[in-house]
Amino acid sequence: MSESILHVLILLPIATAAFIVARPAGEAKTVALWGSLISLVLGVVAAFQFDWSNAGAMQPEVSLVPWLPALGLSISVGADGVSMMLVLLTLLLGPICVAASFSSIKHRVKTYYAWLTVLQAAMVGVFVARDILLFYVCFEFTLIPMFVLISIYGSSNRKAAATKFFLYTFTGSILALAGLIYVIWFNATRMPVEAFAGAGEWSFQIDTLRQAAVRMSPTEQGWVFAAMLLGFAVKVPLFPVHTWLPLAHTEAPTAGSVILAGVLLKLGTYGLYRFAIPFTPIAAVDFAPFIGLLAVIGIVFAGLICWVQDDVKKLVAYSSVSHLGFCVLGLFALNTMGQSGSVMYMINHGLSTGALFLLIGMVYERYHTRSMRELGGLAAKMPVWSFFMVFFVMASAGLPGLNGFISEFMCLMGTFQASDTLAGSSIGATPGVLGPVFAILAGTGVVIGAMYLLMMTGKMVWGPLREPKGHDHHNHSELADDLNAREIAVLTPLAVLCLVLGLFPTPVLKGIEAPVNDTVRWVQEHGGLRLYRDPAPARVTELSPAGVVTPELAAPAAGGER
Amino acid sequence: MSSLLVLLAPEIVLFITTCIVMIVGLWPKLEVRSLAMPIAGMGLLIAGVLAINTPANPESILPNIIPYAKAMTAGVGLLLVLLLAGTVDRSYEAAVERGELRFNPIHTNRAEFFAFFLFSLTGLMLCASATDLIWLFLALELVSLPTYVMATISTRKLRSQEAGVKYFFLGALGAAIFLYGFALLYGGTGTTNLIGIRDALAEQAASGGINPIAMAGIILSLIGISFKIAAVPMHFYTADVYQGAAAPVSAMLAFVPKTAGFIAMMGILAAVGWQYAPGGETLAADGVGTLPRSIYVTLAAIAVLTMTVGNVLALLQRSIKRLLAYSSIAHTGYMLVALIAGPSIAAEAGITSNGLGAVLFYLLVYGVTNIGTFAVVACLERPQPDGEADELDDLEDLRGLCRTRPVLGWVMVICALGLLGLPPLLGFWAKFLLFTSAISAGEIALVVILGLNSAIAAFYYLKLVTLPLLEEPEGDAPATTPFASRTFAGVLSAALVLLAIIPTGIVDAAMEAADRAGTIVPANIEAIERSITAEALRDEPTPIIDR
Amino acid sequence: MVSTFASMADFLAPAQASFPEGVGSVTLAHYLFVSVAMFTMGLIGFLTRRNLIIMFLCTEMMFQAAGIALIAFSRFYLHHTGQSFVIFVLTVAAAEAALALALVVLLFRGRESLNADQWHSLKG
Repeated sequence: MSESILHVLILLPIATAAFIVARPAGEAKTVALWGSLISLVLGVVAAFQFDWSNAGAMQPEVSLVPWLPALGLSISVGADGVSMMLVLLTLLLGPICVAASFSSIKHRVKTYYAWLTVLQAAMVGVFVARDILLFYVCFEFTLIPMFVLISIYGSSNRKAAATKFFLYTFTGSILALAGLIYVIWFNATRMPVEAFAGAGEWSFQIDTLRQAAVRMSPTEQGWVFAAMLLGFAVKVPLFPVHTWLPLAHTEAPTAGSVILAGVLLKLGTYGLYRFAIPFTPIAAVDFAPFIGLLAVIGIVFAGLICWVQDDVKKLVAYSSVSHLGFCVLGLFALNTMGQSGSVMYMINHGLSTGALFLLIGMVYERYHTRSMRELGGLAAKMPVWSFFMVFFVMASAGLPGLNGFISEFMCLMGTFQASDTLAGSSIGATPGVLGPVFAILAGTGVVIGAMYLLMMTGKMVWGPLREPKGHDHHNHSELADDLNAREIAVLTPLAVLCLVLGLFPTPVLKGIEAPVNDTVRWVQEHGGLRLYRDPAPARVTELSPAGVVTPELAAPAAGGER
Repeated sequence: MSSLLVLLAPEIVLFITTCIVMIVGLWPKLEVRSLAMPIAGMGLLIAGVLAINTPANPESILPNIIPYAKAMTAGVGLLLVLLLAGTVDRSYEAAVERGELRFNPIHTNRAEFFAFFLFSLTGLMLCASATDLIWLFLALELVSLPTYVMATISTRKLRSQEAGVKYFFLGALGAAIFLYGFALLYGGTGTTNLIGIRDALAEQAASGGINPIAMAGIILSLIGISFKIAAVPMHFYTADVYQGAAAPVSAMLAFVPKTAGFIAMMGILAAVGWQYAPGGETLAADGVGTLPRSIYVTLAAIAVLTMTVGNVLALLQRSIKRLLAYSSIAHTGYMLVALIAGPSIAAEAGITSNGLGAVLFYLLVYGVTNIGTFAVVACLERPQPDGEADELDDLEDLRGLCRTRPVLGWVMVICALGLLGLPPLLGFWAKFLLFTSAISAGEIALVVILGLNSAIAAFYYLKLVTLPLLEEPEGDAPATTPFASRTFAGVLSAALVLLAIIPTGIVDAAMEAADRAGTIVPANIEAIERSITAEALRDEPTPIIDR
Repeated sequence: MVSTFASMADFLAPAQASFPEGVGSVTLAHYLFVSVAMFTMGLIGFLTRRNLIIMFLCTEMMFQAAGIALIAFSRFYLHHTGQSFVIFVLTVAAAEAALALALVVLLFRGRESLNADQWHSLKG
């Protein structure tokens, strides 16, 4: 895959946005749709150019465009299997979000579509960044478009929601920046030049810095990890810092919610996967039980909150908190099963929750309410909508055969295996610090999830038809009672993908397996034997996968390149 | 002597320009009178070009600072000249135009206003050239004295006079404090030459610790100069003065005295050096140290208090100028962190670990960005009952500005985001350098506080972004001033803020120049060299001013 | 020379650090004491008094305190740096005085009072 196609994927949306601004307002949505469709096609082309047999390696191998040479900074892009999948998810949601906004966005149309496309550029930038500053710049820059989208096009309480969203994420990420800079500084001044390529200079390359970061002392790793965790956990969002999310989701316009749930939250988990865990493996291992605990609390707590929600959009928002808990749990299982499941979860959650937000938006456009007290039994009036609703709720709840199941199962299974308590049993054990207790606790979340989702479906879809008082169809004559062709066209690709990924997840799993394996091996190697509660060498050889090394080699200073 | 003239060429050019402006501004013919501003701009341009080609000055404690500091002064000064157009004499000139009044030089301010502005910039350039405490004192006073007058006469309103008086009295207090500090520093070292002071202090530190009188002098100087940079505990005037003065003058006050203060602080701190062990004695030449303990504690406390006080008070403001004033205090606090971090001890480490370079770059970025925000305030006005137009200052006046006055609205949005330090705008790179240099010096705690403060700052900078960009306009659109050059200044600075996105090489060159400017020779390296030849030099008299 | 005064004790012990030419028993420490006293009085006066002219005189007193210290040090080191510094200080002090009087007159015309507490139209 050539680097130019990745550059184009970042620059094309920006060009589209400029074009939208230049053209009259009436053409904005058409331009935006074409722009995002071209991006999607280019993304598919890139995916075909991508060498999947070598998905673990960054492709292209080298890519440097000088940016600020005084800092030693250049723009460096590339993708491995995981990045590629997430880029594809982003590009897929692009045209869907544009098309979903056709009827709901009536005023300040140019601004809306311009920011929506710019947002896409920033998100792609995050996933293809190979240097830390490009990553950070794009990561931060996503705030502005999202902030604008929520605070102009959101519902009544939009300004508070947008501000809260901005401040939470900004605060977290500026501390993450401090952590990242510490790593950069550590590489520049504390690494002997001969240690590895790029050591001893002000480098911003992720690959280089990863090598340097694992050589930090456990205390340093702890602080750097804590800083990064603050930045990324807010974005995920992990339990105590999740409070901005329900508000932002409820107030955001439909497409904003879709992007937010579909991609923006994944920036947090991607940050954990790409930076926090491989950079500071010792700390990741040390912190894993703590983060696992937060994740489990988030899963259960958010699930229980969902149960008492009346606003259906808020319910789905809280369900995101719950679902992302599984994602984080899988990441911190620190084994291939858990992390692949987690990456799968990122994709699946983007598809199914994105679709749920679209469906809720469609109802909202017709009834101007999201309260489950006022709405009910819509199956009678909107059969097509109801079909999709049930379908995506099933996908989201993890019905076997649909996409949610496989990833949820893998996350839980990975967590279950991630300790040596089950060593020798048929389930098998991998080095890890979470274990069955976490898996069982999180498993209750699956049950709770199924219950509130089904309860919501029961209220909304079945039963006698309830419509808000004073609802008058003639006020919304441009929208049919049930979904129109455009809306069906928006939902169909998501539904097809949910089904395909549920039935044949193997190609995707294969694509992410190699990079995830690399990460896991890296973490086991450099997080070393701390993965075991009982570091008896005999058990190490007995259980270890190929990468685990003996205690002498595991010391951070000696743990060299693979 | 002639080499000194080369070093001072920009100041000399500015001084000559000042004299011309003073005469031209009083000319009876309007066409000639209005040349005052272009002539000032031309003088600055020539001074800037001369400054870029100035050689390093080995006599100076910051040998490489002159080209960068003077070029920065001239560059930001040019933006300020554009912004200052029409600040004084507007109603008077209008009355003369209508034929109601005859032109009388006694009643005009234009000539002295631009002359004072140039005097202040000359003082700033002289600060960068200073090699001696006496010189530094005079330069700092030359920066300040004109600004007191400029603040007072910038509008005909009573509030400007109040601002001027507050500014003057606290300024005089600050000057007295740092003067006393300079006197004690002289007493503790026996010389007023900064390099002489550096060597004396290094010698004292090597033989058991710095003389307490010298130490008290340094701390008093720093506290006195904290008035110039608007740092706690001498920050009280800032909000009142920025609000009372006309917006273009406030923009100038946020840059010129602050830069002068930082350059003076750099000079004094460079005389102390950043290579002391916690006990106060010097480290070996390659050791990573910090400032002597008492200075470090003083400065760190000032930095933390300054940014926190500035940010927290900025949250409460309803006036744009007051908000920007408190944010200017906060920015001072940020820069102090890099000042504490100091230059890198390792040779050729580059801008990323050079705290002084980071401060110098930040000053440039802050100066430019700040002019953008003040330019928006300076361009908006509303006719008052008394017939004079008064500038708008309430945050609510920004409501929907991107719709009603798109150019000004976007300038405000871009510059506010730049001040916030949102990547990839210029402000982010400036703040990034503060982070890297402070982390390089091991000041992790200060960096975390700096990060948290930047997050607090997001609260109020977001107001400056949301009000113009997202809100619907209410009532009549605010009127704009007839001075196109003010809008031009705003647009120019917004363009510069956006410049960092595109790899043009300009930002890069500025960073490299800042790095060069902030490079010093650590005191103890020279002190060690000197002690080798100390025997031969024993009879040489202590360096005094006429050497 | 510089290295002979490594500590405060040297400055404050009359027998060792009296003026080289011997001006009775008046030592550098006495001059410094006067100077510090003037500086402190000026500072306290500035912070407590509310009449603008008195406040300005307080800052002048602080300037002169610095002047005394400079001259004492200059005499102590037996060179002229400090004394030339004082000349410049006096010049600047004169310039400040001119400015202060101009401002005070301007203010008095505007508000007919010199009480600093009356100036509070700017608040936030």
